[in-house]
Amino acid sequence: MSKEELVIDTQNLQKKYVTDTVETTALAGVDLKIKRGEFVAIMGPSGCGKSTLLNILGMLDSPSSGSFLFLGQEVASMSERQRAKLRKHNLGFVFQSFNLIDELTVEENIALPLAYLGFSKSETEKRTLQAMERMGIAHRRNHFPQQLSGGQQQRAAIARAVVAEPALILADEPTGNLDSVHGREVMQLLSELNEAGTTVVMVTHSPTDAEYAHRVVNLFDGQIVTENLNIKRHAAELL
Amino acid sequence: MLQSYFKIAIRNLLRNKVYTAINITGLAIGVAACMLIFLYVKDELSYESNFSKADRIVRVAGNIVFDGHKDAFAVTAPPMLSAVREFANVAHATQLANTDKQTIWHKGQVFTEENLLFADSAFFSVFDYELLAGPPATALDAPRKIVLTEKLAQKYFGSVEAAMGQTLKLSRDSYVITGVYRDKGHSHIAASGLLSLATIEPNLPEGAQDQWFNLNRYTYALLTSNNQLAAFQDQLNVLAANKVNPWIKSNKINAVASFIAQPLKDIHFDTRFEHDLTPQGNISYVYIFGAVAVFLLLIASINYMNLATARSAKRAKEVGLRKVVGADRGQIICQFLGESVLLTFIAMMLALALVQIFIPSFNLLTDKQFSSDFFLNREFMAALLAIVLLIGVVAGSYPAFFLSSFKPADVLKSDKQPRSGSATMRKALVILQFSISLIMIIGTIVVFTQMRFLKNADLGFAKEQIMVVDIPVGDTTLINRLSVINQKLLQNPSISNVSNSYSIPGQPLSRALILAEQNGKMEEKTIDVMFVDYDFIPVMGIEMAAGRNYNRNMHTDLNGGVIINEAAARWLGWKDPIGKKVVLSTSALGDSQAKVLGVVKDFNVSSLHAEVQPVLLQLTPQSAGYLLARISPENQPATIQFVEEQWSQFDPKHPMEYFFMDEFFDRQYRAEEKMLTVFGYFSGLTILIACLGLFGLAAFTAEQRTKEIGIRKVLGSSTGSIVLLLSKDFALLVLVAVVLASPIAWYGMSHWLQDYAYRINLSWWIFALAALLALLIAMATVSFQALKAAMLDPVKAIRAQ
Ligand SMILES: Nc1ncnc2c1ncn2[C@@H]1O[C@H](COP(=O)(O)OP(=O)(O)O)[C@@H](O)[C@H]1O
Ligand SMILES: [Mg+2]
Repeated sequence: MSKEELVIDTQNLQKKYVTDTVETTALAGVDLKIKRGEFVAIMGPSGCGKSTLLNILGMLDSPSSGSFLFLGQEVASMSERQRAKLRKHNLGFVFQSFNLIDELTVEENIALPLAYLGFSKSETEKRTLQAMERMGIAHRRNHFPQQLSGGQQQRAAIARAVVAEPALILADEPTGNLDSVHGREVMQLLSELNEAGTTVVMVTHSPTDAEYAHRVVNLFDGQIVTENLNIKRHAAELL
Repeated sequence: MLQSYFKIAIRNLLRNKVYTAINITGLAIGVAACMLIFLYVKDELSYESNFSKADRIVRVAGNIVFDGHKDAFAVTAPPMLSAVREFANVAHATQLANTDKQTIWHKGQVFTEENLLFADSAFFSVFDYELLAGPPATALDAPRKIVLTEKLAQKYFGSVEAAMGQTLKLSRDSYVITGVYRDKGHSHIAASGLLSLATIEPNLPEGAQDQWFNLNRYTYALLTSNNQLAAFQDQLNVLAANKVNPWIKSNKINAVASFIAQPLKDIHFDTRFEHDLTPQGNISYVYIFGAVAVFLLLIASINYMNLATARSAKRAKEVGLRKVVGADRGQIICQFLGESVLLTFIAMMLALALVQIFIPSFNLLTDKQFSSDFFLNREFMAALLAIVLLIGVVAGSYPAFFLSSFKPADVLKSDKQPRSGSATMRKALVILQFSISLIMIIGTIVVFTQMRFLKNADLGFAKEQIMVVDIPVGDTTLINRLSVINQKLLQNPSISNVSNSYSIPGQPLSRALILAEQNGKMEEKTIDVMFVDYDFIPVMGIEMAAGRNYNRNMHTDLNGGVIINEAAARWLGWKDPIGKKVVLSTSALGDSQAKVLGVVKDFNVSSLHAEVQPVLLQLTPQSAGYLLARISPENQPATIQFVEEQWSQFDPKHPMEYFFMDEFFDRQYRAEEKMLTVFGYFSGLTILIACLGLFGLAAFTAEQRTKEIGIRKVLGSSTGSIVLLLSKDFALLVLVAVVLASPIAWYGMSHWLQDYAYRINLSWWIFALAALLALLIAMATVSFQALKAAMLDPVKAIRAQ
């Protein structure tokens, strides 16, 4: 397997949180390689470091030590500005609590990444519409987040994550706040995106959700304990 | 992108109506006050700038040193004009002279004009007023010509055209109207009309063309270019050395003269010279109000910073998300700066409206004539936009840097409450706001107390109940008959005494050269002189310290006697002044010798800014300027009416003009009093804006502690103790501000008081009063919010979180 194919390649990634009195080790040496086009699920008990890992992979946070190559580039030593640049060109995020901006409409929220990328007005409109249609929320474009159901909000959030066509989507418990029907809808959307070529890394508690992934990484106390290939999924792909 | 920022900003402003209202109101008041101050300062700083050649115009002022005592004058002698005209770098030179108040008889009515000046024919070559009619070069070239301002032409003749060629009858002469010009305003030359100087030229005494001490002309020169000032000064020095001082020596006067070239634009703030045409401005007021403007904006900006950071928790998620989707920190900073600039801009629009409303009152307060369309001025607009940008950036920068520092990983966690900015920083800023407010409150109290002290101070004479009637000048027949009206007035039991004095307190005095006995020899001295009559001392209620008053029955008193004050006796080193010899060189009989008849106790001839100076009261019953009548406090209107009736029989030609001694004397503090009022209003505004901020912060604190308050109430806390709990932190901040502000205010105000020879002490109660005031106002503001929170249903309060 050649290096260029790796979207993510970490070695001995560590993260320590130091507060006034206590030092928490959230990540205790994580080695993780993720290839382009993969769908990886990260599982583990609460507090084991899943979100921390995802935030570091998403360059929202920096590791205390270790190496993190993103598409072959070392991220650990980058400035905030450089990371912001890398982020907006390559990454899309989906959160458990949706995290839409309350003061902006659905359409405005989805268009936001394109604005930071400096797209023209017409291009922005075109792409935003495409993303909304793909997620089935075009009819809600002028609503504010609070006026939508949880499932609709999460679809809007996914639309925002994909609108700039990122190489990698990071999702932190995307179905955590949703009922099973809406949860399944969201998983299907992520799965479709993955099939269309986007790499997906998802944190989840739900074994059902994990079944959509090619590979499941089990985290415990900040370390990877097991990695399982998803036989069903691979089998499906082979067919 | 900008569109999204703009939308978010507007939606945020609308969503948080209370905070928006607080911020916009505070900023609007601050900006409005600043605009007014800007107008005032700009006006003060732009004197004379309406003359296109202002940079090239200088005035000649003079210093004369008599036996170590320096006098500085804005006036020079008539020969200065021809001397200056011969200077190499002078294009034109002109002279002005003051006139007395003029009575004008016109179409059967009587008017008075106070602001007429004499000017020579070169006047319009130096000062480029626009002539609406008449030839500038010859309009003033011969006796009895007058050039009116447009305003005066309209007042008397209805129009410029109708005025031309007409005759106007003034106190002494009739003048032909040879021109009409448009006044430019904004100049120390505030004439309403110009009389030809040639009219009074023949009145000059014999040989006046070399009389260098005849100080009654204002001399101006237009230089060939604006870099000739130093060269002009050099020539003045040569003139003093080669011509004027030799002349002084040849007249055996023990004095040295020097001349100063005073750039036209400096005149307004240059307080060095006596006898100027109009009172000077005070540059300190410009500085003080400039500082006040900055303070007001600072306080309003702090409100914005504090409320923005206090509420930052609510914006944290947005910041995190923007970063997640690709914003870098710079973009976030720009967004928040943009928001504060937008808010400031809205505040500015409101401020413009406020200024429109308050401009008339501000004009009244400051004696200025600002028009309400001032903002159409391009320069002003630019300044305003610059200020908006500046405040927007200053007020927005702290919240912007603070908010943009949020890490998305931290703020997007649903289980964590994001920070609300540093509470310490907010406290420090509130202390700063209240310190500034307190300094201004203390300042206001001190100025107010000092003003009251000045008005109630014992001046050494009884300034109340003296009615002063202006005796028209130049009418000698009237002066010779004064005893007639004096007798008539004294028949009224309400009038106890009458004097016809030339000088009165509160007026500039004359300086005279005298010879005074020093160790048996006569030495030259200069001293301030008041010209009085026999009754001046008793009418004024001035007390004798030694000797006696002038007596009508002692014929030798006239020219043979003088009265001095205690300060003069001390200054001349006379232990026993009675009988000491003095020579008055101005006495009508030549250098006759006089003896000191009496010493009066010191009284304040001029404002309490200065110590009582040595004064000589010279008996000159033949030259009366005012009729002073001491009247009883009962039924004054009847007494005044009586005096008016008597006067109209005595002098039907002139309308009677009168005033009261105390008002006249207190007019010396008018400028200070006006400034006190303006300053008082601005201090009120600073505390108002500071309290607006406090109101918002208190609301925020109460909101944050809703749950705590609920629990306390469930546990049995009373409403009172909860109000106390929420208020005491703020009270502490105000108290810290008191500690910080007091020494600064003490320092500043003792400095200000230095200007007064007679002044109040900065006693502790002034500071205590200011502290109490600030505390009361702050507590009233805070307890409203505290009370609201304390009255909340505890069950609701707990559930709210
Ligand atoms: N900002 C922080 N400061 C201190 N400790 C933190 C912080 N964020 C996470 N932790 C700690 O790091 C550990 C891992 O947290 P997290 O990655 O959120 O776990 P998970 O997402 O697996 O539930 C936990 O023990 C948590 O308490
Ligand atoms: Mg987590």
